[in-house]
Amino acid sequence: MAEETKTEPKQKTSSAKSTESAGKIRQIVKRMYKKAQQAKEENRKIAYCMVMCNYEEILEAMDVVQVYTENYAGLCAVKREAEQYMKKAQAVGYSDVLCGYAQVGIGFDAWRHELGAMPPDAPDGGMPEPDMLLGCSMGCDPRWKWYQALGRYKDTPIYNMEVLMPPSDADFDAIRAYYVRYMAEELRGLIAFLEKQTGKKMDYDRLTSIVKQVEETRQWWRKAYELRKAIPCPMSTQDHFVIFVPHHMLLTDPMTLDFYKGLYQELKERVDNEIGVIDDEKYRLLWGVGIPPWHSMYILDYFQSFGAVFAAETAYMIPEPFEMPYDITDPVELIALRAFERNSAIQRRGKEAGGVPPLAQAHLERIKDFTIDGVVMHITRSCRAATMGQILVRNVIRDYYPRLPVMFMESDIVDVETYSEAETKNQIDTFMEMVDVYRKSHR
Amino acid sequence: MAKVAQRGLIKAQELYEHRQTRAKELAKKGKKVIGYFCSYTPVEIFTALDLVPFRIQGKVGKPVEQAGQYLESIVCPYVRSCFDIALGGELDFLSGVVIPHTCDAMHRLYDIWKYHLKPPYSYSLYVPHMTHQASFDFFQKEIENLKTGLEQFVGRSASEQDLIKAIGLHNRSRALLKELYELRKPEPPLISGSEIIQVLVAGMTIPIEEFNELLEDILVEVHSRNPSAENKPRLLISGSEVDDDSLIRLVEECGADVVMDDLCTGSRFFWHDVDPSKEAIAGLAERYLKITCPRTYRPGKAAQRFNYLGDFIREWKAQGVILYTIRFCDTYQLDAPEMMDYIQSLGLPVLFLEDTYITSPLGQWKTRVEAFLETIEARRE
Ligand code: SF4
Ligand code: SF4
Repeated sequence: MAEETKTEPKQKTSSAKSTESAGKIRQIVKRMYKKAQQAKEENRKIAYCMVMCNYEEILEAMDVVQVYTENYAGLCAVKREAEQYMKKAQAVGYSDVLCGYAQVGIGFDAWRHELGAMPPDAPDGGMPEPDMLLGCSMGCDPRWKWYQALGRYKDTPIYNMEVLMPPSDADFDAIRAYYVRYMAEELRGLIAFLEKQTGKKMDYDRLTSIVKQVEETRQWWRKAYELRKAIPCPMSTQDHFVIFVPHHMLLTDPMTLDFYKGLYQELKERVDNEIGVIDDEKYRLLWGVGIPPWHSMYILDYFQSFGAVFAAETAYMIPEPFEMPYDITDPVELIALRAFERNSAIQRRGKEAGGVPPLAQAHLERIKDFTIDGVVMHITRSCRAATMGQILVRNVIRDYYPRLPVMFMESDIVDVETYSEAETKNQIDTFMEMVDVYRKSHR
Repeated sequence: MAKVAQRGLIKAQELYEHRQTRAKELAKKGKKVIGYFCSYTPVEIFTALDLVPFRIQGKVGKPVEQAGQYLESIVCPYVRSCFDIALGGELDFLSGVVIPHTCDAMHRLYDIWKYHLKPPYSYSLYVPHMTHQASFDFFQKEIENLKTGLEQFVGRSASEQDLIKAIGLHNRSRALLKELYELRKPEPPLISGSEIIQVLVAGMTIPIEEFNELLEDILVEVHSRNPSAENKPRLLISGSEVDDDSLIRLVEECGADVVMDDLCTGSRFFWHDVDPSKEAIAGLAERYLKITCPRTYRPGKAAQRFNYLGDFIREWKAQGVILYTIRFCDTYQLDAPEMMDYIQSLGLPVLFLEDTYITSPLGQWKTRVEAFLETIEARRE
């Protein structure tokens, strides 16, 4: 998340080689929450949202201010302020192994409800009180059930929406029509809901132009991302976990388009001049699926001290490319089709590769394309969605790259109590020895 | 008469204790048995194609042997247990598996199951999370797809008539089960909660025709009982997968009657009929999306969402509720506090239990159950 860790890190080393683009994010995030708080004062409509639900453009076209609650939880974790909210959630009856983001978010709103005011000293001024809650089914169950659970503290109107993830072995051409139809209906339901909540009518021309702008934004990000295949790698995963913020939370903001153009220019310059994240890049690592340990991000720099750079990752991925068909003029249809094509792209490639599970396919592709010498995955106690399947990925990697070292780091996305620095460092020491052996024999 | 009537429950108990016996026998005779998970799999489709539906269940209290190499320790322990059993080869008699995308664990289990166990047939059924009109239309398509896939697998097709016949058989089963549940209403109930679990679990492992016959025998037997009133506390148990009778037995041994349930392996499995006046697939989509499980979004506040539980409590005169969840299950954990609020708003005490399933915490629960029953006793006085 776009933050500096509140305590520590003494051993921080990455910033020197961090991109300028990443350096801008802290201010962008601060501004984002400030704007949301101002919008509240101006009586504009605020929605609690989840990332990657495919509704960003629609909300923008309806002038609804988007507040991303998962990421607020991440922000609290980075600042090591999450615990107070988790404790609150547990005190009002939620399990200590419930999704950590949901614990933080529910704890935050339970506390606000109890006080009748913003919880004291909330990071970045806190999330403004929402006028609507917009969950979606893609990714995991907490991403819509969390908002339902807030019904305990608020009478805020909810629209929970289906975003489909087709099964890995589907006959994609056969299911396309009804998958797209359902998605489009869900989006139309959202528009009707928003029209009711805001008293405004959707401007479909505006929506179309926002959809186009978003596509352009993504193209720039993708172009920038491709540059990380270069040796030495011009940008690390540490920066990736910062620079994804505009895309995920300010997708429709024109600033975001400029941001990724700028990122591309910066990385291009680095590549042209062979400037890497570290001076002597010995090893290239992949951060595999798993939300990072927001509470202790500096641990990634420890790998760097061995001469290793995280050249790619499969967390907070850029959406798959999408060719906009010219014959579809209805932006809602377009978004629905885009969601289907994107959410089935890796499945399709995995199927074509002879039945590689999609999650593993994403890893195999990066291992090859980014010249990877080792994979690190993060088992997080309170996020099953990004954890279940990691062993499967490891097993598949073993089938395709029998000697490639894979390390499982264990802690949590928000709960720092679950994390042991000494143990993790020991693990990394051993892992890096294996990476060294692998690299010598394979590159 | 008494002798004949005894047969049903004993048979159910045998099937419960040896859950794979009958299915294996049928597989040996050449029948295809399809394993499935969850109350959301429309098993009528299997029946219509002369396939035997077999609900995959775990083993409470049995440590996992091999699953650790395939499933992370923070995964739903029930799912880990099921997968461990499959890895051990116990389910090799299955011709295929249907895993509905209901919760995150089920959704992700599909790829893991398929990659490592390579079943001859497998299908991941997307069950919509929402209940908009479009969700029902979509679900119909998914069910049709499941049917087509199975038809291709077995090399024959199921006509509308076949489906209607299968629906009739399953509706008949539901009617018999409801009749059995009626016999839990008297004071004292004519059938215990642990017997009910055995009957239901048994039924999930045999062809529907055999289950219906078994239920008819059991009904005669239970009707003929004439227990004397002991005025024990009457409890309802709500939660997810209780495929083992040990918890309910423990509660009953502690001196309560478990008279009603809201479980995946209980009423949730059979409560709603398929509307026979509808076109078969449409009726199935409507029936299965109606299931009241936390994994499906039903709009409204707690009082609206859980009112069916209030009806159960009133009609079965429950005096307390056990809320049972499995650790690492987000969907239940996110509903549990509101469910507790709701039950307490009806004036009933609730005991919240979080199960680790594989290492059953039964021993620690005994004291909590006893204390809970004392609370109810005190209230009754
Ligand atoms: S992906 Fe993980 S952290 Fe995010 S909402 Fe889902 S369970 Fe929680
Ligand atoms: S107990 Fe929960 S996590 Fe486990 S299979 Fe059932 S719904 Fe899914």
